[in-house]
This record gives sequence, structure tokens and C-alpha cells, in this order.
Amino acid sequence: MSNPMDKFKATFREEAFELLSHLEDGLLELESQPLNGELINAAFRAIHTVKGSAAMFGYDSVSKFAHEMETALDLCRNGTLSITKEFIGLALKGRDQLRQLMEFEGVIPDDIAIEGASLLQRFKDFAAKAKPKEASAVAVSVVAEKSPGAEGETRATEAPLAEAQLELSYRISFKPSKGIFKNGTRVLNLVEELSNLGRADIIPHLELVPPLEALDPECCYAWWEAILTTAAGENAIKDIFIFVEELSELKIETLRGELGGKAKPLGEILIDRGDVSRDDVREALGSQRKLGEVLVENKLVSRPQVESALVEQEHLKKVQERVDSGTNSIRVASDKLDALVDLVGELVTLQARLAQTSIDISDASLASISEQFERLISQLRDNTMSIRMLPIGSTFNKFRRVVRDLSLELGKEAELVTEGADTELDKTVIEKLGDPLVHIIRNSVDHGIESPDARVRAGKPRAGVIKLAARHSGAYVLIQVSDDGKGLDREAIRAKAIERGLIFPNQEIADQELYNIIFEPGFSTAKAVTSVSGRGVGMDVVKREIDSLGGTAQLTTKPGAGMTVTLKIPLTLAIIEGLLVRIAGEFFVVPLSTVDGCIEIRNDQLGALGERRIINYRDELVPYIRLRGFFACGNSETGGKDEAEPEIEQIVIASAQEYRVGLVVDQVIGDYQIVIKPLGRMYRDVDGVSGATILGDGTVALILDVNRLALVVQRESGLKAAAGGA
Amino acid sequence: MEVNSSPRIINLSGSLNVERAAALKTELAEALAGDDKLLLGFSAAEELDLPCLQVIIAAKKSAEATGKELHFMGSLPRGIAKRLAACGFLRDSSDQADGLESSLTGF
Repeated sequence: MSNPMDKFKATFREEAFELLSHLEDGLLELESQPLNGELINAAFRAIHTVKGSAAMFGYDSVSKFAHEMETALDLCRNGTLSITKEFIGLALKGRDQLRQLMEFEGVIPDDIAIEGASLLQRFKDFAAKAKPKEASAVAVSVVAEKSPGAEGETRATEAPLAEAQLELSYRISFKPSKGIFKNGTRVLNLVEELSNLGRADIIPHLELVPPLEALDPECCYAWWEAILTTAAGENAIKDIFIFVEELSELKIETLRGELGGKAKPLGEILIDRGDVSRDDVREALGSQRKLGEVLVENKLVSRPQVESALVEQEHLKKVQERVDSGTNSIRVASDKLDALVDLVGELVTLQARLAQTSIDISDASLASISEQFERLISQLRDNTMSIRMLPIGSTFNKFRRVVRDLSLELGKEAELVTEGADTELDKTVIEKLGDPLVHIIRNSVDHGIESPDARVRAGKPRAGVIKLAARHSGAYVLIQVSDDGKGLDREAIRAKAIERGLIFPNQEIADQELYNIIFEPGFSTAKAVTSVSGRGVGMDVVKREIDSLGGTAQLTTKPGAGMTVTLKIPLTLAIIEGLLVRIAGEFFVVPLSTVDGCIEIRNDQLGALGERRIINYRDELVPYIRLRGFFACGNSETGGKDEAEPEIEQIVIASAQEYRVGLVVDQVIGDYQIVIKPLGRMYRDVDGVSGATILGDGTVALILDVNRLALVVQRESGLKAAAGGA
Repeated sequence: MEVNSSPRIINLSGSLNVERAAALKTELAEALAGDDKLLLGFSAAEELDLPCLQVIIAAKKSAEATGKELHFMGSLPRGIAKRLAACGFLRDSSDQADGLESSLTGF
């Protein structure tokens, strides 16, 4: 029987990993904003919670290590020590150490233990930098308050939760005196600082500003009200205004009791009791005048006062919603979700069989049930898929660390800017994207971004920028990694490609195609192999991983201005819409998102063997491939005419990367919802096929890998063109 | 009397801080005296502090009281837009001057 404590431990570890991930983000942000009190507090709270919970679950080494980190952070929090780049570096290493200590539960390998001891000493040394008198006072207060480790486990576990959740809402009124400008005070700076303390709604009051003729430009007329929700505490608010205390009127009220436990409005109670209907209440409320309007009309309050109160109401409502959403969500193990998606996939397949059966036996009542069933399954599928959707930002954060560490290691300066972090993508896809993105970003920092001096010489800022952006585009997500480095060296790539026999010495090749050669295995133009890159391992891994996700990778560059890698990734890998086609009695599926259109063509119009296979589609010459020949379903490629070959064939025009390609099939059956099944080991390397699916009647259909087929077609037509031109 | 139907455009530039407030007041008062329609641009401004903001609001109040028009145009420099938004003067995250104008209406 499993120990119930194991379950709690697993939950603790999961939550602690999440906290450590937030801590990492916070520390990286703190590096660029070392004076941001909110960030220091957040980092402190994260480490404090990890320490307390670790002690409770018997992770003593974690708790002790976290205690030293907490002490150092506390000294920064109370202003005794300042946040430096070195400290952030140390804290990040400390965070990694904590993660490792938790991963190696129980037996900690020697190297990690030695590293831990050295880090602990560095934290102690850092804390010792505080003035001797203050340091001892702080140390005493920390021990007294937080009693770490084994000596005070119970207290240590109770304290963090209370502190971690201590977020309060305040109503603040700030009325600067008329003469406040005269001593050089920048009033807007103070208000901005206040809004940075937490989630704030700031309401400026300008009603006292007179018309121009009566205005004294050196007088302050504006004043503010603010509703602020923060964990920083009242003192942090007061600190902002400390130097203008005598030159302004500052009121801070805590809205503590106004959250939660809200009584129901009268109308709701009457509806619940069944005394009136919701419509009656709505009608009564509609005929009623709004309280604010009545009060303004009776001159009891001014319009700005009502508006300010409404802002406060809205702010508190949002805070309450955040609190509520926290209690309304549950944590589910991801393998349970995977199992759910598998089951839904089976249901989709079964539904297809039911639909097929109802058609076969022509039973109206069964057809009606089948249709209802289909609608329900479709909703179930959408809901299940949406549960698996996660914002891609959860992976973005770890790249910030990659950029920071790598640029430090290489003596470069680089910053990661992200965009579209809330773009949602299937969990499985996100997991598989991690490695390719790390490779691309490492490549950008190592090969793209120049050294600070070289950048200055090129007229660029010392620090390079790597931009990581994501956005939806139809059934795909586009992820772009761009840098403002030196870009790709066309000639170096060409020379290397010729050397490696990838192109002929005199072969004309479009820039785009040439740049994509860097995705070939073992391709690197780096003159020296570094620990980071240069072995040519990496970009081909990117390509392989992205291919396995059914996506594409593309590269654009401008010499001297940088490079952009664009990844086009399908939203999900589990269930997709496909176009079902038939070739010589076999079924195949073309992913619907790649299909541009279908055209009919007479069999005798299709080019014979050896001719260029190109068709005119909407004034564009599109190369095509006969899948019957490619998959050896028929024997038309060998010259004979297959009996099953129809006189009129269909060309499905599909888009892959920037190319269009025609896929010649016997018959287009129609769109079909397909559950993707992986191919067995035997078929994994079959060209042009990415997976399989089971149709309604139980037969198997192969899913076409349009990207791969397009590449084959492009290469074939390119080679023919080269051979023809030679 | 000169009839001027096209609006007068004033592009504010440099630091609009407390030192500039008095001069800005004079400039706007003169402009309002001579023209019925004024367009204020902020795209060349480096900073916009409260004293000058108050002058602009006061000018807008004067224009309204005398049946003249004063509108904002163009974009707001990013730093200025960020600060104005943090201080409650820009209700949405717009960086357009007309966003500032509509946010200020009603104050």
C-alpha cells in the first residue's frame, strides 16, 4: 500500500518546482530592475515558502540551503545590502542547487554536495558584507522569526503560507500641496512608482485645474486616488511619499474586510427563494435609476467622485475574481490528461464507424443518433483539447536564463525580448519545442550576436537583442527567433555546401534554399568548435524535431542585420482535420491545413515519364507528384497502364513552407476528422508519410507528410532544371 | 480680419517640464487668441511633466469655454505614454495622442 505521505510529497515537489521556476523568472527580472521592491519581496516569499514546506516534508538539506538564501535575500529586502549582478548570479545558482537537491531525494551525489557547500559559503560571505552590527541584529531577528530547519519545523511551515498570501488592497488618496513643484518634486514619478507596487487603478483628478487665463503654471492642481492591491505592505506605500510628506496630504486605507464573504444582493435571494423570476428582477432594476446618477443630481457627490468609486468597485471585483479562480482550479497530473485525450481519440474513431454503419444499413433512427453523437463528440474533443492547451510563455521563461548564462560565458551582452507569451499550444507540442528552441537561441547568441566591441564598431548598441515571438496563424503557431547580430555569411555557407557535396560548384541556388542548408546534419561554418556550438550538431536536430512535430523551420537573414528562424508548428498533434483521398484502392489523408485546392485533370494530360511535371494553377507553375507512382500503388510509372487508374484524376494542391505542390490522386473523398496514430518502428523512415489513422470501417489510412513530399518534388524539379541547363 | 480655416499645428518638442510651463502657457494663450482650431503634437517631446500637462489641460478647458477647438494629434513617445498610463491619464494602453485626449475628457 502506498504511503499517503508520498502523495503529499509529490504535490510538494511539483509546487516547489513551480515556485523555483517563478523564482528564476523573478531573479532574471530583478537583474534589470534591482530596485524593484515588489520583485525582491516575491523572490523572498518564494524561497521562504520552499524552505518551510521542505522542512515539513523532511527535505532538511533543501530547507537548510534555502535558509541561507533567504537570509541573504532578506538583507537585500530590508535594504542592508543591494542587489548586484554577482548576487543574482549566485542566487540563480542557488536556485539550481535547490532544484537538484529536490531531484536527488535522499542520496545526494558527491559533486552536488560539494557544489552546495561552496554555494552555502558564498551566501554566508555575501550576508557577512552587511555592517557587522546590523548583520548580527538581522541574523537574530531572522532566527527568531523564522526558526529554520530542524529546530523549528512547525513554525517554519506555518509562517510562509501566511506571508505568501498577504496581499491587501488599499484605497490611497494623494493630494500634493499647491507649491510642491517649487522644490523640484516630480509628482508623476511618485504616482508611477505607486502604480508599480502592485496591481493598481489610478484615478487622476483634474477638476481643480482652472482655465488657462487663471492658471499659475507653478501651482499643482491635480490630485490622485488609487486602488492598489499589493503584498508590499503599507510602509512601502508610505516610503514612496516620504520626502513629500509635509508637502502633501496622504491617506491610506486598507480595504481588508471588503474582500470575500460578500452578501448576496436582495434580488438574488428573492430569486433563490422562488419569490420572483430573474426577468422580474431585471425589469425592476432597469426601471430603477442608478444610485450614482441620483447622488450627482442631488449634488451630494460630484461625477468624478462617482467615477472614482466605480473604479474602486471594479478593482475589488477583479481581485475577488483572482481569489476565486485560485480556489476554482485544480491540479491534474498530465498523464491523466493524456489518457483522456487517447480515450477521446478512440471515441472519434468509433463515431466514424457508427456513422459509416448507419449509412451502410440506411437506418434513419440510427443516423439521427449518430449525428447527435457526432455533435457531442466534437464538443468533447474541443473541450479536452482546450484543457491541454498551455500558454507558450511557460517555456519562454527558461530561455531568458539560457541567454543570460551563455552571453556571460561568451563575454557578450545579449537580452531576450519575448512577445506573445500567452499564445496557447498543445502541452505535448510545447514540451517537444523546448530543445529545438534552446538550440536556435544558443546558435543566435554564439554565432549571431557579435562581441560588444564589434557591435559598437558596426554602429549597433553594445547589447544584442534576441527576440522570441509567438502568434497564432490558422491551425498553426508561428514561433520566431530573431537576433540583431551579424546575419549569415552567404559565401561561407556556399563554400561549405560545395565542399560537402551538397551543391555543385556552378549550381545556381536561391538564397532561401542555400540558407536552409544549415539545417543539414553536421553542417557548420564555425571555424572553431566551442563548447556551445560549431560542431554542426544542433540545427539539424532542430529540423528533425520540428519535422517530427509536423512543422516547418525557415530561415531568413540580412547580412549585418541579423537572422530570423521561423517555426511553423501545428496547434495539436492528437486530432486534426484531414482530406481523405484514394489512390489505387488505398486511403491516404492530406492534413487539411495544408490544402489550397483541388483540380481535375485527364490522365492523358499528365506528363509522361521523363517530362517536367508542372501544372498551371491560378497562374502559378506548380510541380506535382503522382502518388500512385511514389508509393508504388499502381504501375503507371513503369509504362503500363493500371486498370484501376481513372481517366480523370485529381490534383490536390498543398502548401508546404513557401512552396506549393500538386499531389495526384485517383479520388478526393472529402474532409475527415482524424486521430493521429504513430507509425510502427518498421515504417518510421518511410518517406512522405508522417503517421496513420483508423477510418470508420476499420481500415488504416496513411497521413501524408506534405513537407517531405514538397521537398522531394522541389529537389526533383531542381535537379531536372540543373540537368537541363547543363 | 484674417480668416483662418485650417487648424494651427503646434508640435511640442524637447522636455516639457516645470521650467517650460510658463512659456508654454504664453504660447498656447497666444495661439488660442489667434486661431479657432489648434492641433497639438507630442511626437517630438522628450518628457511631459505635470506642470506642462496642467497647462495643456487648462488650454483645453479655455478652448472649450470660448467655443474653440484644441485637439491632440499623432503619437506619444513610448516613455511619455508609459508614464501617463501609469498615472491614470491614458485609460487604454494606447500610445496615440487622441487616446490621451479622450482619456482627459471628463476629468
